[in-house]
Amino acid sequence: MADDKKPRALATQAAAKIPKFVRGNMSATLKAKEEGKKVAYAYINDGQDEIMRAMDIVPAWGESFSGVCAAKRDAEQYLQKAESDNFSRSLCTYATCTLGFDMLREEMGGEMPPGAPWGGMGRPDMIIGSGQQLCDPRFKWPQATQHYLQDVPVFVGSMYYPPWDPNMDHKGQEKIYVKYATEELRACVSFCEKHIGKKMDWDKLAALVDLTDRTWDIFIDTYELRKAIPTPMDTGDAMNTMVPLTFNLGTQEAYDFYADLNLELRQKIEQKQGVADEEKYRILWGAGLPSWFALGDFQYFNSKGAVFPVETTYRNAEKVERLNLPKTNDPLEHIAWRWVRFWTHWYDKARNRPGSIPKVERIIEYIEDYKCDGVVFHSAFSCRSWHAGIVQQAEILRKIYKDIPVLIMEGDIVDISSYNEADTHNRIDAFIEALETVRSKGN
Amino acid sequence: MKQYFAGIDIGSTMTKVAIVGDTLVSSVIGPTGPEHRRLANKVMEEALNKAGLDFEDLSYVVATGYGRINVPFADKQITEITCHAKGIYSLLPTAEIIVDIGGQDSKCIKLKAGKVISFVMNDKCAAGTGRFLEVIADALGVPLEKLGELSLSAGKAAIISNTCTVFAEQEVTSQLANGEPVANLIAGIHEAIAVRIYSMANKLKISPDIAITGGGAKNIGLVRALEGKFGCQVLVPPEPLLTGAIGAAIVGKETYENAAGRGETLKRSTMGLQAASFFS
Ligand code: SF4
Repeated sequence: MADDKKPRALATQAAAKIPKFVRGNMSATLKAKEEGKKVAYAYINDGQDEIMRAMDIVPAWGESFSGVCAAKRDAEQYLQKAESDNFSRSLCTYATCTLGFDMLREEMGGEMPPGAPWGGMGRPDMIIGSGQQLCDPRFKWPQATQHYLQDVPVFVGSMYYPPWDPNMDHKGQEKIYVKYATEELRACVSFCEKHIGKKMDWDKLAALVDLTDRTWDIFIDTYELRKAIPTPMDTGDAMNTMVPLTFNLGTQEAYDFYADLNLELRQKIEQKQGVADEEKYRILWGAGLPSWFALGDFQYFNSKGAVFPVETTYRNAEKVERLNLPKTNDPLEHIAWRWVRFWTHWYDKARNRPGSIPKVERIIEYIEDYKCDGVVFHSAFSCRSWHAGIVQQAEILRKIYKDIPVLIMEGDIVDISSYNEADTHNRIDAFIEALETVRSKGN
Repeated sequence: MKQYFAGIDIGSTMTKVAIVGDTLVSSVIGPTGPEHRRLANKVMEEALNKAGLDFEDLSYVVATGYGRINVPFADKQITEITCHAKGIYSLLPTAEIIVDIGGQDSKCIKLKAGKVISFVMNDKCAAGTGRFLEVIADALGVPLEKLGELSLSAGKAAIISNTCTVFAEQEVTSQLANGEPVANLIAGIHEAIAVRIYSMANKLKISPDIAITGGGAKNIGLVRALEGKFGCQVLVPPEPLLTGAIGAAIVGKETYENAAGRGETLKRSTMGLQAASFFS
């Protein structure tokens, strides 16, 4: 996540505004405590963004905080603290990093641990979690946190989508999943109402849901500008510019950010300004959260003439019209449909290509739309849900599509002890050589 | 005038130099040690002496291996993955998968006509690498180079359930204390490495034409264990340690000749060979 280092020469100006966003989100939690507003620990991609914003609850994002700790190479003390209470490092390091931080803060009587990156996160008044398919920490992390913050109430909802089955038409199932998700969101609203002592303003919620739809649209319109050759922005930047979509959804600032980025990318395209001095290879970031302490590796790719015009990671949005959502007057049901269809809208395509799966179909779509020469995956050892199945995806891709060069990098999101820069660069060099080989064969 | 090309492969434990003209003209293998630069000069000088050549007789020099950045006199740096592929293709042209078991890491490379299609590497832990064998050889008090031969006399391979070097070392010593013959233990260790390498290679489409390079290829017991696991013969080049250096020299030759085909003469590095002291 946004580091406070000098921005890259070829980075977008918009990306340079991101540290301010992240700092702003963190300091908003501290300010809220002073002003008597409610702070909630929140987790990304939860479908609850607009609910929290509509109820003036200030979200404190654990994943963002851990990313900042990692980017500042300052996570070790928190990881060690969590480890001292028997949390394994092979558990999600986003979770263990914040757990260690919470443990330290509680030991200090609720005072902020000294030197907490960017002032730290405010102590929450509630924890609003949302489990996701496959991810066990997303269910257990909020509860484990409560072990240290015993007075803080916890809500953990869950958002599912129909499982992929090539022999089953998911459309009949979608309604059931939407109904379930809607009820979960309704339970979240009730939980919030109970703990802040105020009723939901449903008109405000509907307006914020509409704002999010428009933010999804402008986000995708903007990111699709990266199809241009040379690409005006790459994944190195996108790992920063994802912040408003991921942590500020349901705010005007998020929408405005992408409107500004859109203008900037158009200008860059007009002036043929690319990310690399000479764009030789276009690569898809096929899956995986990055190593936040090693974002400089993107520059290493760039120095070899390799750019990433597209990534699957943090592209958790789609043009709303492409999702073909059924009409509803219930904003919660709309959120649920948007969530379910975001996942299922690759299902039909996958069914039409024997042996394919939706995740691979998405990869193929991006390879073709963005004219990519190869795919890089990052496998982070401590996250099973995002990173499990990467090898399988790479194998299926090669089998059903073509023998495209693939690099699987290994590391972690937060834990730097698993990272070796020399080895990583060695792999990148070898991958670039493989791209060159394919290029010279004229494939 | 005859043209010569040199490849220098600085691995984690050994430094290798190969000089090629139309064929391999000379080669030297020496230890790497902590001072890459000085040893690179020394080993290159030795290889040139053996061939009766001066450094200026070389048309192009390519460095590879982990220490490739530390070779001031190289004209180009290429990863060992590409160089192993080139080297094996020149020595064993039918090979489609290369298993390279080096001092600190191991890799499987898939190639087509000498070109790398894809690769997988194990570098996060010592299991499945030369280091693993060194630790076990030490624990058993057997010289490293004797492991292969000894394991062939095993009645059966002992079951070693740990691939983590630290735990495997403990397991081997405790089984030894329980009376398990040394040969069986070594065969068990080879088996454990073969399992690990096989699962790594499985991430690539395995074809039956497999070659092995690196120090591990000199261990006959390990080669047999790999053959058992892969279910086919594993090809071993005449001097497995030299594969990367030969490949690097060939890359140099091809780079130079391709440029010549375009009517260009490639610039040599301005950093010449520095006289190496043989008394140190
Ligand atoms: S998805 Fe991965 S990174 Fe996110 S909470 Fe789950 S384990 Fe952690």
